[in-house]
Amino acid sequence: MHVAVKILGVVVVGVAIGLGATWVVVVHGNMPGGVADGPWKTSLVFGSAQSDPYTRARVALHGLFALNSKETLYYTATEDSDGHALDGKCRYQLAGRDPNARWWSITAYGADDFLIPNARNLFSVSATSVVRQAGGKFAVDVGGENPAGGGNWIPAGTGSFSLTLRLYNPGPDVALDPEHAVLPSLKKVSCP
Amino acid sequence: MSERGQEWLFWIAATVLVAMVVHLGAVYLLPHAVMARALEKLGTPNTMHVGRRPDATARAVVRPSPDILYAACPYDLSKGPLRVTSPVNHASYWSVSAFDAATDNYFVKNDQQINGDTMELILVKRGQPWPALDNALERIILYAPTEKGLILIRAVIDTEKDLPALSAMLHQARCGTVASVARLR
Repeated sequence: MHVAVKILGVVVVGVAIGLGATWVVVVHGNMPGGVADGPWKTSLVFGSAQSDPYTRARVALHGLFALNSKETLYYTATEDSDGHALDGKCRYQLAGRDPNARWWSITAYGADDFLIPNARNLFSVSATSVVRQAGGKFAVDVGGENPAGGGNWIPAGTGSFSLTLRLYNPGPDVALDPEHAVLPSLKKVSCP
Repeated sequence: MSERGQEWLFWIAATVLVAMVVHLGAVYLLPHAVMARALEKLGTPNTMHVGRRPDATARAVVRPSPDILYAACPYDLSKGPLRVTSPVNHASYWSVSAFDAATDNYFVKNDQQINGDTMELILVKRGQPWPALDNALERIILYAPTEKGLILIRAVIDTEKDLPALSAMLHQARCGTVASVARLR
């Protein structure tokens, strides 16, 4: 075989493998997370110059303009508390108390990383919008059909989805030890 | 190993090398490409763009928060230092942040870290002539790591009824060359 053809083959195959590996490792998937707390994953280097190139690239694609962790902690859940991938056709329940932060929100995103269209334009619950029970606990329905009684509900479409928990100005215990922060649980209730 | 075997080994090693170089290059360049595209989508440089409350039609930037109103200034310091001014909302979480061309968040200050009801930020590229400035007690002066980047103001929307006032407040934010933007008083 002519050497030029071999060189061309090396370049074509090498470029294909290099770009394929980039797609698998960076493009495909979700926000990275080196720290896991139940179903929630985060990292202390999101948004910062200390990010490794892989984290920076994945944040650019899946969480552009993330603030550094001293200002905001971003936890992402792609699975429920039992480790099963989130599916908008199923009903889940987020249950817990207010996380230790000045302000927080939990938002559902589709597989394309954008807000999920729904008739009621509901996308999230937050420290200011969540309806609490006596004693401060809350329970939020996620996905499935519109639950009776309304209240706390985040629609999640009909496909795979993820949740992002934002903690603005996290408390010092959370910022120092995000792995052990007290965060809402995420349990599957039912699937059609 | 036979000569033919050694030749195959050489070409396989060369392919792996090319793949690694392409992969590492792509991973390094990706944030720069994403940022350049985002800056283009956000609008004219050195101008403050106030968005609507994000909903499912918001497609300029991934994972927008529907509970936050954003004002964004894609900057280009090639025409000189930048001045950003904005009222500060102390009623709920508010912040001003800066991102470089590699998407790194190199600066953020929130409402609890700013005294007074207005914010003034001067953004200068290293080596750029220093702009003539009057005396001001609460002025943030920043060196930008890259010539292009983004200034982003976030304001939490506590309730729907707060939205008009919050939007009006963000529409008072300005961004432009030092000479073109007056300090808020």
